Amino acid sequence: MTEGRGKRGQTVVRCVEVTKRFGSFEALRKVSVEVRAGEVVCIIGPSGGGKSTFLRTLNGLESIEEGEIHVLDVRLPAGKREIERLRREVGMVFQSFNLFLHMSVRANLTLAPTTALGLSKAEANERAKRLLTRVGIEEQIDKYPGQLSGGQQQRVAIARALAMEPKIMLFDEPTSSLDPEMVNEVLDVIRGLAESGMTMLVVTHEMGFAREVADRVLFITDGQILVDAPPAEFFGRPTDERQAAFLSKIL
Amino acid sequence: MRFETHQLAQHYPLLFEGLRITLTICALSLAFGIVIGLVACFGKLRERGIAYRIAVIYIDFFRTIPEVVLIFWVYSCLPLMLSLRISAEASGVIALTLFASAYLAEIFRAGILAVPRGQIEAALALGVPSLHIWIRVILQPAIRRMMPALVSFLTELIKATSLLSAIGVAEMAYQASVLGSKTFAYVEFLSAIGVLYFIIIFPLSIYARRAERRLVSRTAN
Repeated sequence: MTEGRGKRGQTVVRCVEVTKRFGSFEALRKVSVEVRAGEVVCIIGPSGGGKSTFLRTLNGLESIEEGEIHVLDVRLPAGKREIERLRREVGMVFQSFNLFLHMSVRANLTLAPTTALGLSKAEANERAKRLLTRVGIEEQIDKYPGQLSGGQQQRVAIARALAMEPKIMLFDEPTSSLDPEMVNEVLDVIRGLAESGMTMLVVTHEMGFAREVADRVLFITDGQILVDAPPAEFFGRPTDERQAAFLSKIL
Repeated sequence: MRFETHQLAQHYPLLFEGLRITLTICALSLAFGIVIGLVACFGKLRERGIAYRIAVIYIDFFRTIPEVVLIFWVYSCLPLMLSLRISAEASGVIALTLFASAYLAEIFRAGILAVPRGQIEAALALGVPSLHIWIRVILQPAIRRMMPALVSFLTELIKATSLLSAIGVAEMAYQASVLGSKTFAYVEFLSAIGVLYFIIIFPLSIYARRAERRLVSRTAN
């Protein structure tokens, strides 16, 4: 386990010939890939190609039909208890924030730590304050999600996931539903997280971000990983026809 | 004609006795209705299978039959079929429970379905235990969202209890018509209970309307 691209660590995600079907539609076709601790992997590709589905199989939000996925010490498919345990160690941030709208920001951040980790209210509260400071919105702790801007809501969602002190973070198009002027405040938070050594998989359409932050870029289309390369190579010398076509459209 | 207030002054305890029975029957049918309504609601939420089909038939059936027919049926036919005696009061509670559970099941279901799927997924992704997902993420906002519909159904239920006078349950409307025929002071007694129903139901309707408006303005933000 000494090779790797710049960052080194144990393998924390290993997918082996993973196939996911929705009815007769194959959303993922024999996908195999590995991610090491500390790596930042950006996932790009056209819509409907399977990027989000791939991400959602990693914490069991989507079940898989064939193959297996090893995340940390859990092997998927697994039972409900195992999946619940896995999810406590894998944070996820969604395109549409998915904050609990009837709860204050504080309650959004303390729900999981108190119910799933057994933290006391005071401990969870301390953690919430610390994380909100980290994402730069500590003064919003007693507001409700509806009173915040999209960028602020997404930062709350990131803090909420971090409150479980996860070992891996999954981002599913975290900036796609934001107004343009709010994209950077969220990307800055994610960038900071990457610099702190967090293992991350980020589905994104922000090519500049991917080029700058990623250790590897995956190109997923038609349910397959067609390219897996460091950003310089990925953006500089496309090796696949569809990758080249995709890049020429968006760059 | 003269409005004979002394008739009211003399017989009002019977009206209040009727009111007590009205409220008791309401409370019982509401309580049983909530329990059976929850069962039917979760049956229908399954969306397939035998429990789902039974729930759908149950809900459609008891929402379609007029309450009066249901009341007469439980009072006259059910005892024959089961060959046992059922008092008028018990028949009333059974009939209104069937009526209430079918409507409540739909109110509960609408409230639960209105919880955005994404919030449930977020809670799952955080590893929140399912009991807590149900309580904090699904039911808490669902109950808040269904309050207006629930309270406005309660007003319907209170009104429906007056139909039980048809099978001789001594609730408020029954007492008023009996007192009316005994004293010929129909105007006095029927007006009095009209006012009583209004005093009970009007604040509830106001509450339901306000709660509904609050809900709309909150979701608009």
